[in-house]
Amino acid sequence: MIKPNTLRTAVLAGLTSLALGQTAVANTQAPIKVGIMLPFSGVYGALGDATRNGMKMALQEKASELHGRKIEYIEIDTEARPERAPEISSSLLNNSKADFIVGPVHSGVAMGMMKVLRGKDTVMIVPNAGAGPVTGPLCAPNVFRTSFSSWQPSYPMGKVALDKGYKKVVTMSWNYGMGKESLDAFEESFTAGGGEILKKILVPFPKTEFQAYLSEIASIEPDAVFVFFAGGGAVKFIKDYDALGLSGKIPLLGSGFLTEGTLEAQGKAAEGVMTTLHYADSLDNEINNRFRASYKEQFGKASDIYAVQGYDTGLMIASAINRLGGDIEDQQALIKALEETRVNSPRGEFTFSAAHNPVQNIYLRTVENGENKVIEVAAPALADPARGCKL
Amino acid sequence: MTTSLFLVQLINGLQYGLLLFLIASGLTLVFGVMGILNLAHGSMYMVGAYLVWYFFEHTGSFGLSALISAVIALLVGVFMERTLIRQLYRRNHLDQVLLTIGMIFVFNALQSILWGNDPLGVAVPPSLSGAIPMTDVLEYPIYRIFVALLCVLIAGVMYFMINKTRLGMLIRAGESNREMVECLGIDIRKLYTIVFAIGVMLAAVAGVAAAPMSSIVPGMGEHILITCFVVVVIGGMGSIKGAFVAALLVGLVDTFASVMVPQLSSMMIYILMAFILLIKPQGLFSS
Amino acid sequence: MFFNTRTERIFIWVFFPLALLLPLFLAENTFFVSKLTSVMIFALFVMSLDYLVGRCGLITLGHAMFYGLGGYLFWMIAPEYEAVNFWVYTFYICMIAAAVALVIGFLVLRTSGIYMIMITLAFAQMAFYFFSDSIDFGGTDGLFIYVKPETSIFGLSFFDLDNPTHFYYLCLLSLFNTLIFFRLLIRSRFGRVVDAIHENPGRTTALGYNIFLFRLMSYVIASALGAYAGYLFTLQYGFVNPSMLAWTTSGSALVMSILGGMGSIYGAILGTFVYEGLHFSLEHLTEHWMLFMGILIITMVMVFKNGIAGYLEKLLEKRA
Repeated sequence: MIKPNTLRTAVLAGLTSLALGQTAVANTQAPIKVGIMLPFSGVYGALGDATRNGMKMALQEKASELHGRKIEYIEIDTEARPERAPEISSSLLNNSKADFIVGPVHSGVAMGMMKVLRGKDTVMIVPNAGAGPVTGPLCAPNVFRTSFSSWQPSYPMGKVALDKGYKKVVTMSWNYGMGKESLDAFEESFTAGGGEILKKILVPFPKTEFQAYLSEIASIEPDAVFVFFAGGGAVKFIKDYDALGLSGKIPLLGSGFLTEGTLEAQGKAAEGVMTTLHYADSLDNEINNRFRASYKEQFGKASDIYAVQGYDTGLMIASAINRLGGDIEDQQALIKALEETRVNSPRGEFTFSAAHNPVQNIYLRTVENGENKVIEVAAPALADPARGCKL
Repeated sequence: MTTSLFLVQLINGLQYGLLLFLIASGLTLVFGVMGILNLAHGSMYMVGAYLVWYFFEHTGSFGLSALISAVIALLVGVFMERTLIRQLYRRNHLDQVLLTIGMIFVFNALQSILWGNDPLGVAVPPSLSGAIPMTDVLEYPIYRIFVALLCVLIAGVMYFMINKTRLGMLIRAGESNREMVECLGIDIRKLYTIVFAIGVMLAAVAGVAAAPMSSIVPGMGEHILITCFVVVVIGGMGSIKGAFVAALLVGLVDTFASVMVPQLSSMMIYILMAFILLIKPQGLFSS
Repeated sequence: MFFNTRTERIFIWVFFPLALLLPLFLAENTFFVSKLTSVMIFALFVMSLDYLVGRCGLITLGHAMFYGLGGYLFWMIAPEYEAVNFWVYTFYICMIAAAVALVIGFLVLRTSGIYMIMITLAFAQMAFYFFSDSIDFGGTDGLFIYVKPETSIFGLSFFDLDNPTHFYYLCLLSLFNTLIFFRLLIRSRFGRVVDAIHENPGRTTALGYNIFLFRLMSYVIASALGAYAGYLFTLQYGFVNPSMLAWTTSGSALVMSILGGMGSIYGAILGTFVYEGLHFSLEHLTEHWMLFMGILIITMVMVFKNGIAGYLEKLLEKRA
């Protein structure tokens, strides 16, 4: 119900804006609420920080295109604890009445959020977690993802490996959702092209004692090794791989997270590692160069993939608000605007698939002088198969 | 498994076990002498790693950084004991658990505020870089052998100290009869401060030693804490000798389980612990 | 008198009427109702732990195993797309959990003190990895419960579990019943023996009691109730995840129980509400909530000798 007072104000505002030739009543409306569910502490803390920084930076840059609507952030530390996810989601949905809920990093947390937010009167945007079901069997009109499905970055590597002449490969990752999905995606394209997986090693999460496994790999002597590791585990893995003398003898391939946000800590040990990902720091386009420079200036450190994904989430929100003239109350219209967004991302322009996952280039990169250098586009405009999604 | 791979895995297991001993030794020492269950022990491992990274960035010398870090850890230990731990000697174990959990929160927050959440790494000092070839593919890094030897050295020093020196005598006396030591006119409070600080320093030294061969990340302390407790409990709480044997056992079992029964490798050390406690409910070397 | 202390009576007369009326004022905000519901569920869990630790002297760091089991058991035994009866499944789940507890208790209760802490942790970790490594149980992503049970008794239905307010009252009722149950248990002959064992195991054995059996019974009862709490937690949002079984869940429950005042039973409610309340307010205030949480926990250990309940008793019992 609209109280008489509010109604009068609205009518007045409408008249004034008409008179001034403006498009909307937006100026008098409440701020748009963006709930942020990211880990700010613990193992995934760095990823949460970067994502948030990137998103805020984008919305700051696009402030003039929001039709006068202010953005209000409600930030909650998920601690990457899946069992807390439903409650926090419910807090942002029912208590804060967030228009957008952005998160998370961790796939288990994503599943908990999905349980509460699917089909609700808010838009959930996943800026990292790659869990297949989010844009697969569980896909929903109000759920978007600006990052990747775990299938996407790993699938193209199968073909790359075959092209390099590697026929027998050992795969390895932590024994958790993202890791297993990545290895499966690699295996899918690799075995389809005639390659053979000699051994699949699943390390208990979050164990980082890799020596025993690497000794075993050395005794198998495969043509190459494909792995999924991220963050601190990736640092430790690369260091162990190098220290035990495997680097240079058995080529190391990986999903790009192996060398994202970790190169400084990995040092020389990462040189020559080849990975596939939907982004690379060294992508030479105007948007990426500008993005990296201004990120560095604002936050005093180098940007990474997580910052880019956050940035793109911000761009996407801003673009939808802009297209709707600041009025995002109609959820149908908002979803449509989001679906049609072409994000001018530092990773190159991308669009959304019917399942709301990015359709994007996957780049083949190699580590050179402490930087991920792009060799080629391993798969142009790759869309996740979205198995099980009925959208 | 071929013989050469078996030998390599044996070395891997021993090396991991020795590092575990270094981390666990402080925990068991503090519990044995003072009866304090220090859950913040893992945090000190983390602090050691962060400190050495921080000073290495500023001084460029690993040795110097290691020394500074150890001294700082010692001082932090003295401070913790004097201000907080001391108040709880006469309270039950559970209050100590609560207090040290509070400390974990504080250390984690400070780490995040002071050093951020990015994964960090320290390069192996040049004098210890290089590797010994093992098989045609595999090499064994000299630094890891150095750390293993360091752990053996520290174990030896601890053994000597406890069994042959005056401080060790007091520690052993304090373990068995606190009142008696006090009656002899020895300031047990000072003894406790020293022991606690040494315990904290041992954890930090382990963090320093591990830094160049691992990644320095938030939460690294909690993960190692559980493994440490497994070691200490298998060995028998308070027994240094027990911790040494248990650490090697855990290191070997974990290493061989990883390659031989991968389906069970996540549970293996817990199965081992449950098994040992069912046979010897007080651990292997309980006093 | 039914309740031990004046403080407990006052607390119960303040807490439960207040909790009963609260949803009436919060009708606008379904979130707070849900939040209070989940805190009550956890308080129930902490209470079952408090009985074990505070009353029986059996310190466990593996209680979360039963919390998680409550959730996974429901997923395992209930059909996926059919509403089952809540009360019947409550019975099933508690019984299965009790059976599991009987076996594990038989093993772990041979140890004591810190060894028992660690052996319970060992079993909980095995269970944790069992669920998180297994694809059949959804691995680290967890599982969804799609259909919630219906709650009819002889055709009469009092609660609709999809309605947050109804669910709130169900949990409040459960919490109240658990409190009363423990009070009755403690006052019974069984409870007196358990207290005696806690005070002096040697003498109790000398009196001819089989202390192992009493401990085992207590362990089974507390574990079944822990599983019931996990079952409620799962039903609230229809989500099960291996992190429910993580040692950190056991750890936080232990912290809340110590904070509330070990062995006081009602202290579990105090401890859980204070801890969760602080956590909730601090995390909304600052990203560095951990720092303040840590300092507050340290301060509370220093100030309260016997938890919050102990402190309140010191204040309120003087005049009595």
